[in-house]
Amino acid sequence: MSTRTPTVQDATDEDLLVRAAGGDQSAFSALYDRFSPPLFALMRQMLGDETEAEDVLQEGFVYVWKHASQFDAARAKPFTWAVMIFRHKAIDRIRARGRRARMEEAAAEMPENLAAAPVSADEAADAVDRVAIVREAVRGLPGEQRRMIELSFLKGLTHHDIASTLAVPLGTVKTNIRRGLLKLRDLVKGGTQ
Amino acid sequence: MNDSLQDKAALYALGLLEGEESRAFELAMAKDPDLQALVAELSDTTAELALTLKPIAPPAHLKAKVMDSIIRSDSHSGGNARMAPARRSWAMAGWGIAAAVTVSSVWLFQERQRLTREIAIVTNGEAEARAELLDTAAKLASIQQSEATLKQQIAAATQRDDKLNRELADAKSKAAQLAGEIASLLKRNYLAEMQISTLQSTVDEFKQGVAVVVWDSDKHEGVLKLEKMPPIDPQNDYQLWVVDPKNPAPVSAGVVSVDAQGFAKVDFKPVDIVSEAAKFALSVEQKGGVDKVAGPIVLISP
Repeated sequence: MSTRTPTVQDATDEDLLVRAAGGDQSAFSALYDRFSPPLFALMRQMLGDETEAEDVLQEGFVYVWKHASQFDAARAKPFTWAVMIFRHKAIDRIRARGRRARMEEAAAEMPENLAAAPVSADEAADAVDRVAIVREAVRGLPGEQRRMIELSFLKGLTHHDIASTLAVPLGTVKTNIRRGLLKLRDLVKGGTQ
Repeated sequence: MNDSLQDKAALYALGLLEGEESRAFELAMAKDPDLQALVAELSDTTAELALTLKPIAPPAHLKAKVMDSIIRSDSHSGGNARMAPARRSWAMAGWGIAAAVTVSSVWLFQERQRLTREIAIVTNGEAEARAELLDTAAKLASIQQSEATLKQQIAAATQRDDKLNRELADAKSKAAQLAGEIASLLKRNYLAEMQISTLQSTVDEFKQGVAVVVWDSDKHEGVLKLEKMPPIDPQNDYQLWVVDPKNPAPVSAGVVSVDAQGFAKVDFKPVDIVSEAAKFALSVEQKGGVDKVAGPIVLISP
């Protein structure tokens, strides 16, 4: 009986991250290829600046390489872990700009609607496609909940900033974000809300 | 799980909690498996939102920069397991060293895991200690409040006690005053019922003598006081008599012996019932006294 180390193409995200933690640059390279397109899109959306998005992407992946051994599969999925790292770095940059500036940017340029991305023919044909499921779930959220989640997720606004930007009570923002995320979780899991 | 905790879990998953608020939430999460599970689910959900954006391939040169950065970072870190391909030939030459480094890395990794667990335990302990401290502070505040209440009650009771003592002293004073008044009234009443008579003599020998009788008709008794009475024959005695108008003969009230100075003070009680003591008389009788007046009357009340 023999065991075979999967190729980087076959390997799961977790396998790649574990191998990267052990110093495997080819595994890390494959992880970069998988994660960088959605993460770069997210950084561009959050920062609104191509150069800054590139800087954060580079910082983020170097961080992932150095801290891959800290990844704990019991606590998060690899992509979730990566998104959290990159978002924190982007949020740090956004907050460094100052509260007023980021609120003005958010007000002037509403983020790309998470649910507005066109559904591809493949998505329509394949009901189990993960992206299609998430998009459909986002579409299922009430407008206020979706808007507040978009402002926090895509623009890095704090709940205080969102309350000021939308001129609503802080409690309303917290409630909408909580209800929105819980509903999104249920919809993505396929349950009823 | 309450809404407030779920609010924080959602904000934490979105990276919106900052500073002390974020640390406090992580402390709460460390000892709450349900909260950990909720945060993990919401974090996964949040991360998947990134997939809904249209993917954008970063510029090709960016990957080269990233790979170059990680190679340089490993180079600067002193040549651990993450060596650049260009240096692998050197690594092959030092395979034994690399193996040793690998073993060390495993040990360090295990040590790090152990320390992480210990930190979690210490963190939990700290959270519990803080909770106990808050609980103790609350109990102390409650005790202090009770103490303050008791002090107020003691002060009020002391005031009431002082007032009662003053009232008691006042009542005692009034009682003493009333007792004095009653005694005074009784004394006045007693004196009013007393009959005082001064006996006088027409006999020269006895004129210097003084005799006073105080008679209590209620008690049917009296007191005789004699002064400066001249001495008499040792075979004789002075004898006191009570003159009662309803009685044909004076009633004997007993013999009286005087001292060398002619002084005597005696209580007396007539031998028969006296309805009215009209007069008192003192005679000189044979020793021991007689039933009826036989000797000379030397003193008599007016």
